[in-house]
Amino acid sequence: MRLLKKLHEHRIALAIIGIVVFLAIPFVVTNKLLIHLGILGMLYAIVASNWDLTLGYAGVFNFAHLAFFGIGAYTSGILAVKLGVSPWLGIPCGGLSAALASIIVSIPAIRLRGIYVALLTFACSQLVLLLLLSQPLITGGQQGLTGVPQLQIGDFRFRESSYAHFYLVGFLLLCSTIFLRRLVTSDFGLSLIALRDFEEYAVARGIPLARQRLLAFLLSSIFPGLAGAVYAHFLIVASPDIFGFSLVTLLLSMLLVGGVATIYGPVIVGVLMTYVSELMASSAWMSDVFGISRGPVRFMFVAVLIVLTMRFFPQGVWGLIKQFSARLRASRGAATDQPQIS
Amino acid sequence: MSLEAIAAIIAGGLVSGSLYALMASGLSLVWGTVRMLNLAHGALVMVGAYSAWYFSNRGGLAKALQPIGKSIVENAEGSGALGGLLLPLGEWILSIRGGFGLVIGVPFAVLCCGLVGYIMYVLLVKPFVGKPGADLVVIITTLAGASFMQNGVQVIFGPRYKQLDRILKGPPLQVLETAIGLQEVLIIIMTPVALLLLHFFLKYSKHGLAIRAVAQNDDFAHLVGINVSQIYPLTFVVSSILAGLCGVMLGGLFFILPTMGAQELLFAFVVVVFGGLGSLPGTIIGAYVIGFIRETSAYVFSLYWAPVVLFATLILVLIFRPRGLMGGEES
Repeated sequence: MRLLKKLHEHRIALAIIGIVVFLAIPFVVTNKLLIHLGILGMLYAIVASNWDLTLGYAGVFNFAHLAFFGIGAYTSGILAVKLGVSPWLGIPCGGLSAALASIIVSIPAIRLRGIYVALLTFACSQLVLLLLLSQPLITGGQQGLTGVPQLQIGDFRFRESSYAHFYLVGFLLLCSTIFLRRLVTSDFGLSLIALRDFEEYAVARGIPLARQRLLAFLLSSIFPGLAGAVYAHFLIVASPDIFGFSLVTLLLSMLLVGGVATIYGPVIVGVLMTYVSELMASSAWMSDVFGISRGPVRFMFVAVLIVLTMRFFPQGVWGLIKQFSARLRASRGAATDQPQIS
Repeated sequence: MSLEAIAAIIAGGLVSGSLYALMASGLSLVWGTVRMLNLAHGALVMVGAYSAWYFSNRGGLAKALQPIGKSIVENAEGSGALGGLLLPLGEWILSIRGGFGLVIGVPFAVLCCGLVGYIMYVLLVKPFVGKPGADLVVIITTLAGASFMQNGVQVIFGPRYKQLDRILKGPPLQVLETAIGLQEVLIIIMTPVALLLLHFFLKYSKHGLAIRAVAQNDDFAHLVGINVSQIYPLTFVVSSILAGLCGVMLGGLFFILPTMGAQELLFAFVVVVFGGLGSLPGTIIGAYVIGFIRETSAYVFSLYWAPVVLFATLILVLIFRPRGLMGGEES
């Protein structure tokens, strides 16, 4: 307790230390792959934590979040490749089109409940994929949109430096996390939780169900859209694989293992899980042990992890940390109390 | 539209309608009885196709057994009475180098699917039955299960495409100026037979009646002495067998690959929502209607646009009639 209070008192200093450490990472870690995976992990963390707003806080079983990510990627990619629009204008456009798509999806989705929402959002994301595949002249079809220009300021090209993307995506993740945390602790966030936990009572107390859910969709789609656009420029390709089963499962595992309705959980586990799954895919011993291609095995691992999480600790890693620290606090409190009692 | 086009649309609609009916009826059965949506149903179709291939094709089990047969034959000579007994076994194994054929393959595929369905129920569904929010948790766990099976099959069989032998060989039939392959004819005929068998099972057998009783009211089913905790896995097994049959038929039409069930699962979603989740007659009618819509839109627009039309239909149905065209009100 005292420790937490102390941490809270020095939170500005801690934040500055955190930022300095973060800024130093690209200069300390010289391995290109690790930096690359960090960027990828932070992008996935943005999507997973925003997904948490609808799935965790609003309790809407929404499967369309990767579609928002994909729409952001394709919007900025198509604008840059086909119309020559600057990526710096394309990225906000990606966020905007994701927000627009979220409104379109949520209008039918807020009328439905439970399993039907899952079906509808699933269908919507597949519809987006099919539409993209049906226009190969614009979107590149099955091969994906190639030749997306990289980000650059003047003559400075982002892909040539090890830190530019890292800082940009880190900044985006920071903004997204602060935004989400402020949102879920605000009255709006509380009203979402009220609707999730006791819908009839919350509606009776005057919370507008449809409006709050639509807003939840809208507010949680902007950052995935921006992240998607950055993703396209970072990888210089927008591929239909974004909509596949495997990536949905991977992101779902970040959200669930991290802890639903915590925001911090998916952010931390999102980055960690990217490292674990990608390093599994590229480590040599996996192929030596199994004697097979390593890509599929990591998705099997992720699947097992999801089921184990749901079965044995549905509150996720962040929930476990909270529980543990609460227990620690209780036992320490008891220990210091004891002399006074006796 | 010419007569030829209409005949082609009818034939195509019947084939895809049959496949959707087989797949969606299993999905709908589980939804109606256990009240869960099984996202691994598409993966079960894939498992059915792969196991049928493994047990029937020369590259599958038959190939894996050859070294064993060879060593038996080599060691049997000169090892006395036991060798004399084993020798015919070894020779028999060597004689099936060409594969077991579909006569063995299809029943084994069905068995395999039933088993996988049961294991899936025990691992992915049973721990969550009766808990709050179980229906949504099961969507997640079965999605994970689907991903596990897809990638597992890729690990076991490799990413190369496989193909099942065709059950009937011969030139395509000429019906109304359009050619229908024999495999397609078989699917059109066999699906109603399988669905009729399902109907008789649900209507007249003891277990089938129990499944329907649980679907109608599980509390009352409990009261009249039906063991609900046994009916749930049974429903999963029956549904998996239907998925397996669908896989066997698909495997004869197209290439078999690890991701094969995913697209069909999406169409089955469209069908069950269209017909009403949990209503079997609605699902079967819906399957054929969706089959015809798909073929017609593929003809009128293009093959690319057909799924777009289907998903647009699904979203419209969900907006205006969320319980489906024949689904009842939620109790």
